[in-house]
Amino acid sequence: MKHEKETTSPSAEVPEWMLDLDRVGFVRRLFLSRKWYGGDWWFVAISAVLLLFVIIVGIFPQWFAPYDPKAEVGPSLLEPGEPPSEFILVAKIEKGEITLVDIANKSNNVGFIVGSPASQAVREVLDELNESAPTGVRYQPRQRRYETLEEGLTALTEGKLDGFVVSPDELGDSLNAYPDLQVAGTLREQGSSGFVMGTNQIGQDVFSRIIWGTRIALIVGLSSAMISFLLGVPLGLFSGFIGGPLDRILTLLMDSLYSFPGLILAITIAAVLGPGIGNIIVSIAVLYIPTYYRIVRGQTLQVKEELYVEAARSLGTSWFSILVKYIFPNVIPSVVIIFSVNVGDAILTEAGLSFLGFGLPPDTPDWGIDLARGQDYVRRAWWLITFPGLMVTMVTLSFSMLGESLSEILNPRLAEQ
Amino acid sequence: MSETSTLNNSGDYLVEVNNLTKWFPVQKSIIDQVFTKERDYVRAVDGVSFKIRRGGVLGLAGESGSGKTTIGRVTIGLEKKTKGEVFFDGINLSELSEEELRKMRRRMQVIFQDPLASLNPRMSLGSAIVQGLKIHYPELKEQHRDMVLEMMERVGLTPARFYINKFPQQISGGQRQRVVIARALITKPDLILADEPIAMADVSVRALLLDLMIQLKKEFNLTYIFITHDLATAKYICDDIAILYLGKIAEIGNLKEVYSLPLHPYTQALMAAVPVPDPHKRRTQSMPAGEIPNPIHPPSGCRFHPRCPFAKDICSQEEPILRELLPEHQVACHIAENFMK
Amino acid sequence: MNEKQVLMQVKDLSVTYETRLGPVSAVDGITFDIYRGEILGLVGESGCGKSTMGKALMRMIQPPGWISKGQLIFEGEDIMTYDRNKMRDFRGRKVSMIFQDPMTSLNPVQRVDQHLIEAIQVHEPKTIIEKALERANILMERLGIQKERMSNYPHQLSGGMRQRVMIGLGLVLNANLIIADEATTSLDVIVEAKLVDQLKEIRDEFGVTLLVITHNIALVAELCDRVAVMYAGHIVELGPIEEIFDNPLHPYTKGLLLSVPNIKLDEREELFKMAGEPPNLTHPPFGCRFHPRCPKATAICEEKEPEFREVTPGRFVKCWLVKDYQVKEMKKAEVIK
Repeated sequence: MKHEKETTSPSAEVPEWMLDLDRVGFVRRLFLSRKWYGGDWWFVAISAVLLLFVIIVGIFPQWFAPYDPKAEVGPSLLEPGEPPSEFILVAKIEKGEITLVDIANKSNNVGFIVGSPASQAVREVLDELNESAPTGVRYQPRQRRYETLEEGLTALTEGKLDGFVVSPDELGDSLNAYPDLQVAGTLREQGSSGFVMGTNQIGQDVFSRIIWGTRIALIVGLSSAMISFLLGVPLGLFSGFIGGPLDRILTLLMDSLYSFPGLILAITIAAVLGPGIGNIIVSIAVLYIPTYYRIVRGQTLQVKEELYVEAARSLGTSWFSILVKYIFPNVIPSVVIIFSVNVGDAILTEAGLSFLGFGLPPDTPDWGIDLARGQDYVRRAWWLITFPGLMVTMVTLSFSMLGESLSEILNPRLAEQ
Repeated sequence: MSETSTLNNSGDYLVEVNNLTKWFPVQKSIIDQVFTKERDYVRAVDGVSFKIRRGGVLGLAGESGSGKTTIGRVTIGLEKKTKGEVFFDGINLSELSEEELRKMRRRMQVIFQDPLASLNPRMSLGSAIVQGLKIHYPELKEQHRDMVLEMMERVGLTPARFYINKFPQQISGGQRQRVVIARALITKPDLILADEPIAMADVSVRALLLDLMIQLKKEFNLTYIFITHDLATAKYICDDIAILYLGKIAEIGNLKEVYSLPLHPYTQALMAAVPVPDPHKRRTQSMPAGEIPNPIHPPSGCRFHPRCPFAKDICSQEEPILRELLPEHQVACHIAENFMK
Repeated sequence: MNEKQVLMQVKDLSVTYETRLGPVSAVDGITFDIYRGEILGLVGESGCGKSTMGKALMRMIQPPGWISKGQLIFEGEDIMTYDRNKMRDFRGRKVSMIFQDPMTSLNPVQRVDQHLIEAIQVHEPKTIIEKALERANILMERLGIQKERMSNYPHQLSGGMRQRVMIGLGLVLNANLIIADEATTSLDVIVEAKLVDQLKEIRDEFGVTLLVITHNIALVAELCDRVAVMYAGHIVELGPIEEIFDNPLHPYTKGLLLSVPNIKLDEREELFKMAGEPPNLTHPPFGCRFHPRCPKATAICEEKEPEFREVTPGRFVKCWLVKDYQVKEMKKAEVIK
């Protein structure tokens, strides 16, 4: 640690070797101010950068998201990075080389395996064709679903279908068993590129949804935390400072609120208030007010007994000044940490609410909604919950880390003037 | 800044305390409260009277349970008395309203024992010192900063600009006490209650702080109430000294008189107990038996009688009153005359 | 003349702490002996390293500190080589410690007799409880705690009594060395005086050696046979109590002694004010650590750290200024006496 030289020379009574923390820049003080963490100001730096990035993403999602989060831009449940696969049309040999266009009229039947990506591929290609079709022309073959490939191919052989759509992987060598069937043509080429985080059940790009989800998360998280803070802290301060019957009543109220399981309380309030982002923010905010109240009240009671508060009283300080200059600055550091954890928790609570249908419309790009919907696909499509989950974790962690370090840094700065 | 004004010209004495009594109720369990009507009280101070001259320094000396801190706090208005009267510059403190008392604080300040605990860790030093001015002289706002710098220089925190933005955790213990002194003196008070002000400072720094306090007293025309458990330190700053035992004054008077001829057996024991920094003059006297009794149930008669090597019958029956046996020398003891030559 | 037996030797001891601002040597290369049956005082201001020294003698330095150098030779054996079991036996049975605040160093949910019995059983597991209790009772009676008080809990005892319990814990195992770390600082003056008497008694009666760590110089004058003055991690002066008080050689000692209040009216009418404050040990001054505050500092004081030299038998000083002629003066004074 380099030792700074003072520029003004102190008199003999002032030891020269004391470090002058005030002269040091803010950045250096950031490095010097850690007490418990020791040397992990890396944490601070990383979390600050991360959070900044997250906030920028939240304000300008359109810069970062490649696709519209609500649009079905690809086949469903596409693995991250994997380009959409090719789909081929299988038909009877006698028909020769055909494309979907040839058989896409009302009287024809097109088959595919139920639930396979082929069905969506068919729909997509038909939509495309219909868009670019001249007026009056409509491509709308009847769509037939089959449980297995064998059934479908058999139906094709028997003439019940005019064409069967399948991906080459699904088809494999099966055509060997059907001498009068062949690959008639390509329905759709293999895609050139995939989606970096894959797609969800309805073909929306997970990455874009995550980017847009940041905005919702930040809005809900920060707003509800802010409201809780603005209500809980002053109540706690006054309650702890004044005491008496007011304190008793408030504590009773807050304790009862606090003893409710969080999600249930939020659901109750949300159910009463109805859907909408504003109402979610309010219901989550109410949830956290008791937390701030309790902590602030406890700290206030403690700080109230400190010698410097008595010293302030002996100076003749008015009670209001004591509250603002002596008690508040010494109580606030503990609240900063709560605030940061609060934001992370609010995002999770909001996810729970949205999952149950309270609050946000179901198609909103929101991490919580995505998490809820991806639950059933853990094995099949791990990317549906992994990426939203990672986002929540990362943002919550960043807030917590920054919150803790902020409280240390804020300490000397909280003096007045 | 206005000169120190007196509402009531009380002549020579700035502080007058008459028969001051302070009892603290003891917390009892609910069962006890229901079944026993009487309450127990900690008799911290029990009928104490003294006067302090303007510009004088009165030492309140004693061991734990003597009541010295409580007397100081009531005299300076930080606690309410149970019985008796406290006059500050002729004004009866109990007749003041809350607001008037708060304004009166400008003239009565406190220097606490623990400088780190008595400074707000979130306030810079300059900020801490200026508070008194903001409260009592808000109209002088432009001059506040200069006044703070000047006071800091005066108490030895030089260069003041170097320290004004520092925080209590960044300076040494001795320097912190200087900040506390500066904070107390900025409103130009008349009376200072110093509660063991140097007990927590380093040995080599204590002399500096004591010297500073003496100089400031002369310069600002201050009156001190100096609470201490160390009779040796008291010698260097106090003009008068009161020896307290279990809430009552055992002996009070001019310090030199009391020290040269201690008349109360407790004072004698206390003075003998103080270690002398001279290995050739080690103590040979034995100490009184027993320990300080419980202030909730003090002994009958003279409170020191169970431990007093000279106790007579009367000592357990009758409480001795404070008598002036010599000029500027009062004792509360039945047999004190025996020690006068 | 008494044959002085060495009980413990401290050789070149250094204790280092890791702090946020870098390593701090709280105790830096200290060498001295403790003699059997003596009362040795270790005096200094806050931060000088005296408490660290006391803990180091029992190898009780906790992280972030550690004994970085040196030997501690107790009755001929270097305890730095002891393993954990031997150290546990050592602590309590050979050396024991009395702390400043007995309220926090006694177990609030254990009675006095339980404290003592536990101590005995930990170190001498074969002792039957009745015998242990008897030993404890006899000892505490000698120390002034009657049998009736033995079943009290610590909060029921006064400060002075708790200190006596602590002393009892040290003596019940017949420890050779008792280290008292600011043991009287929180006590009232009269109680302190009684404790001083008691400590002298137990030394006379039991032959126990005492190391008294304190910042109270007057206390040292009342109680100790020899005194070591510490400053910024070093011992700057060591010697018999009368010699040090009559003729302090180190400028720090001189200043310190002159700044201590004396209750006697005709003595020390003014207190000496020492300039400056004890240094920050993360960046101690170069050369002699006292030189920034020393009124007599010379060029060499700023460059080289002085040696801890024995200037006359039994008298050690760490200062460049103590030249031989000063020593000759002392010898002359002795002859005249």
